[in-house]
Amino acid sequence: MQTADPKADTHSLLEDAQGFIFGTAMCAFALVMLRDLGLVTGQTAGLALLISYMFKLPFGWVFFAVNLPFYWFGYKRMGLKFVLKTFACVALISVFSEVFPHFVSFETLNPVFGAIMLGFMTGAGLMAIFRHGGSLGGIGILALYLQDATKFKAGYVQLAFDACLFAVAAFILPLPQVLYSLLGAVVVNLVIAINHRRDRYIAM
Amino acid sequence: MPAPFPIPQNPAKHTLFEDLQGFSVALITTAIGLTIIAQLGFITGQTAGLALVISYLTGYSFSWVFWLINIPFYALAWFRMGKEFTIKSALCVTALSILVAVIPKWMSFDTLNPVFGTIAFGILTGYGLLGTFRHKGSLGGLGVVALYVQDTYGIRAGIVQLCFDAVLFTVAFFLFEPSRVLYSLLGAVILNGVIAFNHRRDRYIAS
Repeated sequence: MQTADPKADTHSLLEDAQGFIFGTAMCAFALVMLRDLGLVTGQTAGLALLISYMFKLPFGWVFFAVNLPFYWFGYKRMGLKFVLKTFACVALISVFSEVFPHFVSFETLNPVFGAIMLGFMTGAGLMAIFRHGGSLGGIGILALYLQDATKFKAGYVQLAFDACLFAVAAFILPLPQVLYSLLGAVVVNLVIAINHRRDRYIAM
Repeated sequence: MPAPFPIPQNPAKHTLFEDLQGFSVALITTAIGLTIIAQLGFITGQTAGLALVISYLTGYSFSWVFWLINIPFYALAWFRMGKEFTIKSALCVTALSILVAVIPKWMSFDTLNPVFGTIAFGILTGYGLLGTFRHKGSLGGLGVVALYVQDTYGIRAGIVQLCFDAVLFTVAFFLFEPSRVLYSLLGAVILNGVIAFNHRRDRYIAS
């Protein structure tokens, strides 16, 4: 319970904390479904999944390690506060995604339902993290950095990265898994595209 | 970044498409939360909680009980809150009932830790209700009665709902093992925490 309502345009520390725990827990739960179905996704999380599938490494550690190089770009481009928030979120996901499979596993999970569901949940989780001024690090930061340096659009950098990722996945995963992965990625991005609007959710 | 499709111009108003996606995401997430606690044998507050208690005692499916329990409330809602609210509520309640009936065919758990499940329920259903409220929907039931009591007798609506939940959980203590009720309480606290922290019309300004 809050003692007093914080102002509408700024989140208090406690509000940010609950936002990040909510967001990372949602994403980590979605990752449990994703790994159960043997799917991948985009961005650094997708890269970490591919590496963990190929070399049988624990996803949480790989995800944490993959993100390390990007914090420097994040610091230069977005400032210390953003980097600290991002580091906390990445660390939380790394821990949650290693711990959650001990607490929950599926007997049946329909892949179409699972892909849509994990899209909804990851979309919700990412949106909460963004609305509280954090991120899950990685490619997004590099993309913004490259946009500043080379005028190459950040969105295209991310798209190119995901295209390479799915091309690799197409070789190592069975075709249905690649298609379900695409479905999940489309749902995540639709949820964010429709709902992530600074003119509607105005707090920072 | 290029927009993948035209962005609606008016930030204050959801389009029909936006409402539909909002309700889809919100109701499916709510249904998954309910599927989790139904599997664990826990309850929650409000009409959903009452429906869970009845379904555990009688063996009838939660979906039918929940759907039937809400019918009397529509009459009150029709006169007090208007046609649009009542129809939206009836649609949301019906969709949720169907989802809770169907989801176990697509998703069932091998292991489900009760503490984890309780927290997951609170977060998922709290988020789902938040989405439903932000898109001006409702899951019917008690809220309408609570508002009626507030207007007629001057008792705060929040207090009315709290009293209902207090009675429900007290009855549950006599019917089920105490541990089930304590887990249920934890879930209800987290659910209400998610809503209390985040449901602010001054921050999410669209309706």
